[in-house]
Amino acid sequence: MSFLEVDKLSAFYGKAQALHNVSINVEPGEIIAIVGANGAGKSTLLDSVMGLTTVTGDIRMEGKSLVGLGSAGIVSSGVGYAPERFNLFPYMSVHDNLMVGAYTARADIEKNLTTVHQLFPRLKERSKQETSTQSGGERQMVSLGRALMTSPRLLLVDEPTIGLAPKVCLEIAEALKKMRNELGATIVITEQNANFAMTLAERLYVLESGVIKAQGTVDELRNDKRLTEAYFGH
Amino acid sequence: MQIIIQGLLLSGLYALIAMGFTLIFSVGRVLNLAYGAYLLIGGYVYFTISQTLGVPKLIGLFIAAIVGCMVGLLKYRLLVKPLKGNHVAVEISTLILAVVLQAGVVFIYGDSSKILLPIVAGVTQVAGASVTYNLLAATMASWTILIGLYFFVRKTHVGRAMQAVSMDTRGASISGVDPDKINMFTWGLSGALGATAGVFFASYTQLSPSMWVAPLIISVAVVIVGGIGSIIGTLIVAHIVGFMEVLAVAVIAPELRGVFTMLLIIGVLVVRPQGLFGREEL
Repeated sequence: MSFLEVDKLSAFYGKAQALHNVSINVEPGEIIAIVGANGAGKSTLLDSVMGLTTVTGDIRMEGKSLVGLGSAGIVSSGVGYAPERFNLFPYMSVHDNLMVGAYTARADIEKNLTTVHQLFPRLKERSKQETSTQSGGERQMVSLGRALMTSPRLLLVDEPTIGLAPKVCLEIAEALKKMRNELGATIVITEQNANFAMTLAERLYVLESGVIKAQGTVDELRNDKRLTEAYFGH
Repeated sequence: MQIIIQGLLLSGLYALIAMGFTLIFSVGRVLNLAYGAYLLIGGYVYFTISQTLGVPKLIGLFIAAIVGCMVGLLKYRLLVKPLKGNHVAVEISTLILAVVLQAGVVFIYGDSSKILLPIVAGVTQVAGASVTYNLLAATMASWTILIGLYFFVRKTHVGRAMQAVSMDTRGASISGVDPDKINMFTWGLSGALGATAGVFFASYTQLSPSMWVAPLIISVAVVIVGGIGSIIGTLIVAHIVGFMEVLAVAVIAPELRGVFTMLLIIGVLVVRPQGLFGREEL
């Protein structure tokens, strides 16, 4: 039994089907990346784990199905989500955004807040700033911080580096590694940039038009000519 | 002086009246046109419990708030949730509900208006202006409730969750907040606030089956003029509306009391549809 098992998952937005029979396994403490072009269904996959789409098939964490629990129930089960558009609360302070993340994990507030401030010292400095006035990189930090405040054992991060300056990308990548190495979180990220994904993840799944096209370790996929041409650019 | 004192006192009461309406509008994005009915219910429940049955006034006020809260919860469960997403249907059905409730009140209590005895009797002088203890008490209660609400929304988990749902429902969901529960809670709170405001409002004016209309107009004005509701914005606009009414009554004619409020609504809609302070904050 893997830590996370996505089992023959099909997902729908209304009548439109966005995922077809997708199966994924994630072992405890792994970082895996879902790689694919825009519109391949990467966000849909993470949305589905969070209970935000209509699905058939099953999603299990530690053997227990997450399907039908609702987003709030899935968060309490130990899944944290940092979505691509962040979905922050624009007119609330950084601190209050983080505190909303603590809604289901109130016993851990002190511990989690310390962790977030250690990972992103800038959030401590700017704790009173409204997120509507922040840069993309800072918002990504608030978004990851808010997800950490839910005390997640599984962390889903949608396009962690999209639109961010290279220096900030590195900062985010470092933070994600620390979350795994020091906090023991299992992490699933999505990436359009396969090269970046390879610096962070141990294993990759390649998603194309809602279907898993390839999977393997970084080394295995690096030697796959078909994929190198399509996703790695050279 | 009389105008300033009256304006301040009345505005405090208006802020309380509008608050419950603002809450629903900002958290649930619903224009609850039956909001005035909470005031109607609150006023008549208090009248029955405290004035007819002679139960102590504070208990009557408390029961009125509980009944308002129950009506709010029922309205959410039976009407708003099933019609989720269809704003026009919600607005039409809430408006009809208010009219039905009015008919119910006429059926039970009769058509004529009733005088609600002052909650606190007596008159005093404030800076040379004569003020009833009743309005003074209503204003103080309003401010106490509003300050309490402000800290509740800012400093508690549930309050922050209400803000979160009002700004980004999806963001709230993935933070572990169940928007459905928060909406339900807000409807209950709104009902309790409306019914409480209704007791004070009825004791300031009088109890009549059509007493839901004026507070609804005040509330709509506060939301439209203030933009999507914040507690501070509600307070400011309630003072604009309150002072305008007191001035209209004192300077022009009592009959025109509500007219300027309505003109203000239309004026703001034309000139600045997003409201004076419009932003999605609680």
